[in-house]
Amino acid sequence: MGAETRRKSRGRTGGSTLSGRGLRKSYGDFEAVKGVDFEVYAGECFGFLGPNGAGKTSTMKMIYAAAVPTGGELSVVGLDVIRHDREVKRRIGVVPQENNLDEGLKVRENLLVYGRYFDLPRKLVLQRADELLDFVQLTEKAEAKVESLSGGMKRRLLIARALVNDPDLVVLDEPTTGLDPQARHLVWDKLRELAREGKTLILTTHYMEEAARLCDRLVIMEGGDIIARGSPGELVREHVSPQVLEFRSDPASLTALRPILEEAADSVEEGGSVEALLAFTRDADAIMERVRESGIKVENIVHRGSGLEDVFMRLTGRRLAD
Amino acid sequence: MQGGIKIPSPRGAFRVWQRNLTIFKKYWKSIMFPNFVEPLLYLGALGLGLGTFIRQGGINGQDYVAFIAPGLLASNAMFAASFESTFDTFVKLRFDKVYDAIITTPVNAEDVVAGEYLWAGTRSALYGTAFLVVLVALGLVSSPWAVLVPPALLLIGIMFSVMGTLFTSLIHQIDYFSYYFTLVITPLFLVSGIFFPVDDFPAPVPQVAWFTPLYHAVNVCRALASGPSPVVLVDVAWILVFTAVLALVPIQIMRRRLVS
Repeated sequence: MGAETRRKSRGRTGGSTLSGRGLRKSYGDFEAVKGVDFEVYAGECFGFLGPNGAGKTSTMKMIYAAAVPTGGELSVVGLDVIRHDREVKRRIGVVPQENNLDEGLKVRENLLVYGRYFDLPRKLVLQRADELLDFVQLTEKAEAKVESLSGGMKRRLLIARALVNDPDLVVLDEPTTGLDPQARHLVWDKLRELAREGKTLILTTHYMEEAARLCDRLVIMEGGDIIARGSPGELVREHVSPQVLEFRSDPASLTALRPILEEAADSVEEGGSVEALLAFTRDADAIMERVRESGIKVENIVHRGSGLEDVFMRLTGRRLAD
Repeated sequence: MQGGIKIPSPRGAFRVWQRNLTIFKKYWKSIMFPNFVEPLLYLGALGLGLGTFIRQGGINGQDYVAFIAPGLLASNAMFAASFESTFDTFVKLRFDKVYDAIITTPVNAEDVVAGEYLWAGTRSALYGTAFLVVLVALGLVSSPWAVLVPPALLLIGIMFSVMGTLFTSLIHQIDYFSYYFTLVITPLFLVSGIFFPVDDFPAPVPQVAWFTPLYHAVNVCRALASGPSPVVLVDVAWILVFTAVLALVPIQIMRRRLVS
């Protein structure tokens, strides 16, 4: 559990960088965030996981002062966001969900103009712009128009832009949504590099794999509430058995199979949209043996380790990335 | 929790102004050309065309073309600032999300709006100054007071930017701007004393005109073009008070659109 040790040691030295207490956000009658508590320590990568509409983006917006909390407390880089919005924004970097690069400016100019918003000296911004373009592998595109960039390049430029002010904390709202797998891996590499450099990262995602790969700790949100929290490993250990057997077959066979699995496995769940049953267990062989004995026809069996997706299924009864 | 009236920071407003200047410097030739040519068309068509029929010493002893020229300076500033604060601002707000990006930095939403006011005023002054040079070359403006026209146009531009931004802050569809131009800007253009002196009309026309912004802008430009009388200070004061009173309203509304 490298991530957890790292978190603990960092937690002691870095202290709390972000903390929300009873944080609420309503839009009219709609409660987007219903009183959540969280604490992020300096140097860790912290994830907000949940389906669309869970309240992740509202929470992010409150953190970077683009939304005003309806209630509760929120302190970012040790400051109250509402009273010190400018100072907070001076010290954080934001990668928004929606691309909002300045289309009237070239790639490099986007960084230079953005740096001016922070009152950074021109010489420093020029130097940093080149370093950041190199970091996100866009040096060759420095003089290109923003509209000529691919989706993955735009996202990398957004990441570079968020780093212009050398922030203590980087907020990333769905940093890889809509990217192809290659572009996604490149973004992950960059985020891991930032984490290694000691930046505190906060990210939202609805990709389990992303959360499992990047986050030291995370919370799972649903309907404006935090429904679980911990490191990816802790969450899996706490909520599901280590192994999963996925049985796919026709409805009649699955109905027949169900009582057998329920007896032999730790727990059984229906597998989302496909006709499938998931059996969670510590001993997959024993279950396989029982299924073979029963003689029930099963079209397809997948044996795998359990993961965050299963935790989410267990907690909410549905798939995350639908 | 929104908490009180927001006052812009000059530093933040300057950064937004600077961003617009950076973009303007790249495209100024193509942006400026139509705005520059338009008043010349009015000057030619109405000043020379219609002016031919207005004999007997023109208006108040002036040639008709010399009468309308300073008024066109004012209306040109109005149009420049109005386009900037309506279509351009709406595109930045809704489509390009330029403001969403800016407000994640130490520049706040209120600074963004103030910066846009300043920029619209600057754009008005730039266009107007180019037009003024042409008027001087044509001998239509001769008073040394004309050096005060650019700062006057800056102020006039800011005033119309505040009005345009107020409208922009209230609408959610770009099509509604045709209402603003048809029902506000065009009537102002026609009845604010650019093409005929409003003051000679029977009541209540002069009284109504007194409550409209372009009327005072035209008075200021005309006074500076031909040598002012102290009465023009009333017009300047009117513009200052109107702008100051109205300026904070769009700032608050726009802030609510940008910061939920």
